[in-house]
Amino acid sequence: MKKLEFLDALRKKLFGLPSHEVEERVSFYSEMIDDRIEEGLSEEAAVADIGTVDGIMMQIVGEISVVSIVKDKIVPKRKLRAWEIVLLALGSPIWLALLISALAVVVSLYAVLWSVAISMWAVTVSLAVCALGGVAGLLLCLYLGNSATGFVILGAGVVCAGLFIFAIYASLSLTKGTVLLAKNIVLWIKGGFIKEGEK
Amino acid sequence: MDIQLKRGLLDVCVLTAIKNEESYGYKIIKDTAPYVQMSESTLYTILKRLETAKMLTVRSAEHDGRLRKYYKITESGLNRIGEFKDEWREVMSIYKFVTKEDASDEKA
Repeated sequence: MKKLEFLDALRKKLFGLPSHEVEERVSFYSEMIDDRIEEGLSEEAAVADIGTVDGIMMQIVGEISVVSIVKDKIVPKRKLRAWEIVLLALGSPIWLALLISALAVVVSLYAVLWSVAISMWAVTVSLAVCALGGVAGLLLCLYLGNSATGFVILGAGVVCAGLFIFAIYASLSLTKGTVLLAKNIVLWIKGGFIKEGEK
Repeated sequence: MDIQLKRGLLDVCVLTAIKNEESYGYKIIKDTAPYVQMSESTLYTILKRLETAKMLTVRSAEHDGRLRKYYKITESGLNRIGEFKDEWREVMSIYKFVTKEDASDEKA
Protein backbone atom coordinates (compact mmCIF):
# COMPACT_ATOMS: atom_id res chain seq x y z
CA MET A 1 0.00 0.00 0.00
CA LYS A 2 1.26 3.48 -0.89
CA LYS A 3 1.53 6.24 1.72
CA LEU A 4 -1.34 8.35 0.37
CA GLU A 5 -3.65 5.32 0.12
CA PHE A 6 -2.83 4.43 3.73
CA LEU A 7 -3.41 7.95 5.02
CA ASP A 8 -6.70 8.24 3.07
CA ALA A 9 -7.89 4.91 4.45
CA LEU A 10 -6.94 6.03 7.98
CA ARG A 11 -8.71 9.38 7.52
CA LYS A 12 -11.89 7.56 6.36
CA LYS A 13 -11.79 5.13 9.26
CA LEU A 14 -11.39 7.95 11.77
CA PHE A 15 -14.03 10.15 10.15
CA GLY A 16 -16.33 10.12 13.18
CA LEU A 17 -13.61 11.39 15.52
CA PRO A 18 -13.04 15.10 16.25
CA SER A 19 -11.64 16.57 12.99
CA HIS A 20 -8.62 18.29 14.56
CA GLU A 21 -7.74 14.99 16.23
CA VAL A 22 -7.92 13.14 12.87
CA GLU A 23 -5.70 15.63 11.01
CA GLU A 24 -3.13 15.74 13.79
CA ARG A 25 -2.89 11.96 13.89
CA VAL A 26 -2.76 11.60 10.11
CA SER A 27 0.13 14.10 9.89
CA PHE A 28 1.89 12.22 12.73
CA TYR A 29 1.68 8.93 10.79
CA SER A 30 2.69 10.71 7.57
CA GLU A 31 5.86 11.97 9.30
CA MET A 32 6.57 8.47 10.64
CA ILE A 33 6.30 6.96 7.14
CA ASP A 34 8.50 9.70 5.60
CA ASP A 35 11.19 9.14 8.25
CA ARG A 36 11.24 5.41 7.46
CA ILE A 37 11.52 6.11 3.72
CA GLU A 38 14.37 8.53 4.45
CA GLU A 39 16.15 5.74 6.30
CA GLY A 40 16.09 3.57 3.16
CA LEU A 41 12.83 1.61 3.34
CA SER A 42 10.60 1.46 0.26
CA GLU A 43 7.27 3.30 0.49
CA GLU A 44 5.33 0.01 0.78
CA ALA A 45 7.69 -1.39 3.42
CA ALA A 46 7.49 1.86 5.42
CA VAL A 47 3.67 1.73 5.38
CA ALA A 48 3.66 -1.97 6.31
CA ASP A 49 6.01 -1.21 9.23
CA ILE A 50 3.48 1.24 10.71
CA GLY A 51 0.75 -1.45 11.02
CA THR A 52 -2.73 -2.00 9.61
CA VAL A 53 -5.34 0.77 9.39
CA ASP A 54 -7.85 -1.33 11.37
CA GLY A 55 -5.31 -2.07 14.09
CA ILE A 56 -4.41 1.60 14.43
CA MET A 57 -8.08 2.60 14.48
CA MET A 58 -8.86 0.16 17.29
CA GLN A 59 -5.94 1.50 19.34
CA ILE A 60 -7.01 5.12 18.79
CA VAL A 61 -10.67 4.43 19.63
CA GLY A 62 -9.52 2.81 22.87
CA GLU A 63 -7.45 5.87 23.78
CA ILE A 64 -9.84 8.74 22.99
CA SER A 65 -12.42 9.55 25.68
CA VAL A 66 -16.08 8.98 24.87
CA VAL A 67 -16.84 12.53 26.13
CA SER A 68 -14.53 14.04 23.49
CA ILE A 69 -16.21 12.02 20.69
CA VAL A 70 -19.77 12.85 21.79
CA LYS A 71 -18.92 16.54 22.39
CA ASP A 72 -17.55 16.83 18.87
CA LYS A 73 -20.81 15.39 17.50
CA ILE A 74 -23.15 17.54 19.57
CA VAL A 75 -21.44 20.95 19.82
CA PRO A 76 -22.19 22.96 16.64
CA LYS A 77 -19.17 23.78 14.44
CA ARG A 78 -20.39 27.31 13.60
CA LYS A 79 -21.88 30.18 15.57
CA LEU A 80 -25.65 29.80 15.99
CA ARG A 81 -27.89 32.32 14.23
CA ALA A 82 -30.35 34.45 16.23
CA TRP A 83 -33.44 32.53 15.06
CA GLU A 84 -31.76 29.22 15.94
CA ILE A 85 -31.10 30.44 19.47
CA VAL A 86 -34.76 31.61 19.77
CA LEU A 87 -35.97 28.21 18.51
CA LEU A 88 -33.68 26.43 20.96
CA ALA A 89 -35.03 28.55 23.84
CA LEU A 90 -38.67 28.03 22.80
CA GLY A 91 -38.18 24.30 22.32
CA SER A 92 -36.28 23.87 25.58
CA PRO A 93 -39.29 22.50 27.53
CA ILE A 94 -39.36 19.62 25.04
CA TRP A 95 -35.70 18.93 24.23
CA LEU A 96 -34.46 19.61 27.74
CA ALA A 97 -37.00 17.14 29.15
CA LEU A 98 -36.02 14.57 26.50
CA LEU A 99 -32.32 15.10 27.22
CA ILE A 100 -32.84 14.68 30.97
CA SER A 101 -34.88 11.49 30.38
CA ALA A 102 -32.19 10.13 28.04
CA LEU A 103 -29.51 10.80 30.66
CA ALA A 104 -31.72 9.20 33.33
CA VAL A 105 -32.08 6.09 31.13
CA VAL A 106 -28.28 5.90 30.69
CA VAL A 107 -27.70 6.30 34.45
CA SER A 108 -30.37 3.69 35.29
CA LEU A 109 -28.94 1.21 32.76
CA TYR A 110 -25.53 1.67 34.35
CA ALA A 111 -27.08 1.12 37.80
CA VAL A 112 -28.83 -2.06 36.54
CA LEU A 113 -25.52 -3.31 35.14
CA TRP A 114 -23.84 -2.92 38.52
CA SER A 115 -26.85 -4.05 40.58
CA VAL A 116 -26.15 -7.73 39.80
CA ALA A 117 -22.63 -7.54 41.24
CA ILE A 118 -23.82 -5.40 44.20
CA SER A 119 -26.62 -7.91 44.99
CA MET A 120 -24.12 -10.77 44.91
CA TRP A 121 -21.87 -8.89 47.35
CA ALA A 122 -24.92 -8.30 49.60
CA VAL A 123 -25.60 -12.07 49.57
CA THR A 124 -21.92 -12.75 50.38
CA VAL A 125 -21.95 -10.35 53.33
CA SER A 126 -25.25 -11.85 54.59
CA LEU A 127 -23.76 -15.35 54.46
CA ALA A 128 -20.74 -14.17 56.45
CA VAL A 129 -23.04 -12.57 59.05
CA CYS A 130 -25.11 -15.79 59.25
CA ALA A 131 -21.94 -17.86 59.76
CA LEU A 132 -20.91 -15.63 62.67
CA GLY A 133 -24.53 -15.69 63.88
CA GLY A 134 -24.34 -19.51 64.04
CA VAL A 135 -21.44 -19.34 66.50
CA ALA A 136 -23.15 -16.60 68.51
CA GLY A 137 -26.42 -18.63 68.52
CA LEU A 138 -24.61 -21.72 69.83
CA LEU A 139 -22.99 -19.73 72.65
CA LEU A 140 -26.31 -18.12 73.57
CA CYS A 141 -28.18 -21.48 73.56
CA LEU A 142 -25.43 -23.13 75.64
CA TYR A 143 -25.75 -20.28 78.11
CA LEU A 144 -29.54 -20.79 78.23
CA GLY A 145 -29.03 -24.55 78.64
CA ASN A 146 -30.58 -25.54 75.28
CA SER A 147 -27.58 -27.21 73.66
CA ALA A 148 -29.55 -29.21 70.99
CA THR A 149 -30.98 -26.02 69.45
CA GLY A 150 -27.54 -24.43 69.76
CA PHE A 151 -25.91 -27.14 67.64
CA VAL A 152 -28.70 -26.88 65.02
CA ILE A 153 -27.98 -23.13 64.79
CA LEU A 154 -24.24 -23.83 64.58
CA GLY A 155 -24.93 -26.33 61.76
CA ALA A 156 -26.82 -23.66 59.83
CA GLY A 157 -23.91 -21.27 60.47
CA VAL A 158 -21.42 -23.82 59.11
CA VAL A 159 -23.56 -24.25 55.95
CA CYS A 160 -23.58 -20.45 55.53
CA ALA A 161 -19.78 -20.34 55.97
CA GLY A 162 -19.43 -22.95 53.21
CA LEU A 163 -21.75 -21.03 50.92
CA PHE A 164 -19.83 -17.83 51.77
CA ILE A 165 -16.64 -19.29 50.25
CA PHE A 166 -18.48 -20.03 46.97
CA ALA A 167 -20.25 -16.66 47.07
CA ILE A 168 -17.05 -14.65 47.47
CA TYR A 169 -15.61 -16.23 44.30
CA ALA A 170 -18.89 -15.60 42.47
CA SER A 171 -18.90 -11.95 43.62
CA LEU A 172 -15.30 -11.40 42.50
CA SER A 173 -16.00 -12.97 39.09
CA LEU A 174 -19.20 -10.94 38.68
CA THR A 175 -17.38 -7.70 39.57
CA LYS A 176 -14.59 -8.45 37.06
CA GLY A 177 -17.20 -9.39 34.44
CA THR A 178 -19.13 -6.16 35.03
CA VAL A 179 -15.98 -4.03 34.70
CA LEU A 180 -15.17 -5.80 31.41
CA LEU A 181 -18.74 -5.41 30.16
CA ALA A 182 -18.78 -1.69 31.07
CA LYS A 183 -15.49 -1.20 29.15
CA ASN A 184 -16.88 -3.04 26.10
CA ILE A 185 -20.07 -0.97 26.19
CA VAL A 186 -18.00 2.25 26.14
CA LEU A 187 -15.96 0.87 23.19
CA TRP A 188 -19.20 -0.07 21.43
CA ILE A 189 -20.63 3.44 21.94
CA LYS A 190 -17.42 4.98 20.56
CA GLY A 191 -17.48 2.56 17.59
CA GLY A 192 -21.13 3.53 16.93
CA PHE A 193 -20.22 7.21 16.66
CA ILE A 194 -17.29 6.49 14.35
CA LYS A 195 -19.31 4.19 12.05
CA GLU A 196 -21.98 6.85 11.83
CA GLY A 197 -19.31 9.19 10.45
CA GLU A 198 -18.20 6.67 7.81
CA LYS A 199 -21.55 6.72 5.99
CA MET B 1 2.57 -5.16 34.25
CA ASP B 2 0.18 -2.76 35.98
CA ILE B 3 -1.19 -0.22 33.43
CA GLN B 4 -0.54 2.86 35.59
CA LEU B 5 3.00 1.71 36.31
CA LYS B 6 3.69 1.03 32.63
CA ARG B 7 2.25 4.42 31.66
CA GLY B 8 4.56 6.16 34.14
CA LEU B 9 7.58 4.20 32.89
CA LEU B 10 6.83 5.00 29.24
CA ASP B 11 6.47 8.71 30.06
CA VAL B 12 9.90 8.75 31.69
CA CYS B 13 11.43 6.75 28.79
CA VAL B 14 10.16 9.33 26.28
CA LEU B 15 11.38 12.22 28.46
CA THR B 16 14.80 10.57 28.73
CA ALA B 17 14.97 10.18 24.93
CA ILE B 18 14.67 13.97 24.57
CA LYS B 19 16.66 14.86 27.68
CA ASN B 20 19.95 15.84 26.05
CA GLU B 21 18.69 17.21 22.74
CA GLU B 22 15.36 17.77 21.05
CA SER B 23 14.14 14.83 19.02
CA TYR B 24 11.37 13.71 16.64
CA GLY B 25 8.82 10.87 16.73
CA TYR B 26 10.62 8.17 14.75
CA LYS B 27 13.95 8.83 16.50
CA ILE B 28 12.25 8.55 19.91
CA ILE B 29 10.82 5.16 18.92
CA LYS B 30 14.26 3.96 17.71
CA ASP B 31 16.11 5.29 20.78
CA THR B 32 13.73 3.64 23.24
CA ALA B 33 13.30 0.38 21.25
CA PRO B 34 16.13 -1.54 23.01
CA TYR B 35 14.39 -0.95 26.35
CA VAL B 36 10.68 -0.75 25.62
CA GLN B 37 8.42 -1.53 22.68
CA MET B 38 5.84 1.12 21.86
CA SER B 39 3.65 1.63 18.84
CA GLU B 40 3.26 4.94 17.01
CA SER B 41 -0.21 5.29 18.46
CA THR B 42 1.08 4.83 22.00
CA LEU B 43 3.89 7.35 21.40
CA TYR B 44 1.40 9.88 20.05
CA THR B 45 -0.71 9.58 23.20
CA ILE B 46 2.34 9.90 25.47
CA LEU B 47 3.65 12.97 23.61
CA LYS B 48 0.21 14.61 23.84
CA ARG B 49 -0.04 13.83 27.56
CA LEU B 50 3.45 15.22 28.25
CA GLU B 51 2.72 18.33 26.17
CA THR B 52 -0.51 18.97 28.12
CA ALA B 53 1.41 18.49 31.37
CA LYS B 54 3.97 21.07 30.07
CA MET B 55 6.80 18.54 30.39
CA LEU B 56 7.81 19.10 26.78
CA THR B 57 7.35 21.67 24.06
CA VAL B 58 6.72 21.04 20.36
CA ARG B 59 7.89 22.97 17.31
CA SER B 60 7.48 22.24 13.63
CA ALA B 61 10.52 22.75 11.42
CA GLU B 62 11.18 22.11 7.76
CA HIS B 63 13.23 19.04 7.04
CA ASP B 64 14.00 17.83 3.53
CA GLY B 65 11.08 19.75 2.02
CA ARG B 66 8.51 18.61 4.58
CA LEU B 67 7.47 19.53 8.10
CA ARG B 68 8.71 17.53 11.04
CA LYS B 69 7.73 17.99 14.67
CA TYR B 70 10.52 18.33 17.22
CA TYR B 71 10.01 17.74 20.93
CA LYS B 72 12.06 19.51 23.60
CA ILE B 73 12.07 18.73 27.32
CA THR B 74 11.09 21.49 29.79
CA GLU B 75 12.22 22.15 33.36
CA SER B 76 9.13 20.33 34.58
CA GLY B 77 10.03 17.30 32.41
CA LEU B 78 13.54 17.23 33.87
CA ASN B 79 12.02 17.39 37.37
CA ARG B 80 9.84 14.38 36.50
CA ILE B 81 12.96 12.35 35.58
CA GLY B 82 14.52 13.41 38.91
CA GLU B 83 11.40 12.33 40.82
CA PHE B 84 11.41 9.01 38.97
CA LYS B 85 15.02 8.35 40.03
CA ASP B 86 14.19 9.10 43.68
CA GLU B 87 11.07 6.90 43.64
CA TRP B 88 12.93 4.02 42.05
CA ARG B 89 15.86 4.18 44.44
CA GLU B 90 13.28 3.33 47.10
CA VAL B 91 11.65 0.62 44.94
CA MET B 92 15.07 -0.93 44.21
CA SER B 93 15.93 -1.14 47.91
CA ILE B 94 12.59 -2.94 48.49
CA TYR B 95 13.37 -5.21 45.50
CA LYS B 96 16.76 -6.09 46.99
CA PHE B 97 15.08 -6.90 50.32
CA VAL B 98 12.47 -9.12 48.57
CA THR B 99 15.03 -11.00 46.44
CA LYS B 100 17.30 -11.47 49.48
CA GLU B 101 14.32 -13.10 51.25
CA ASP B 102 13.86 -15.36 48.17
CA ALA B 103 17.53 -16.37 48.23
CA SER B 104 17.41 -17.22 51.95
CA ASP B 105 14.19 -19.24 51.36
CA GLU B 106 15.94 -21.25 48.63
CA LYS B 107 18.93 -21.96 50.92
CA ALA B 108 16.58 -23.22 53.62
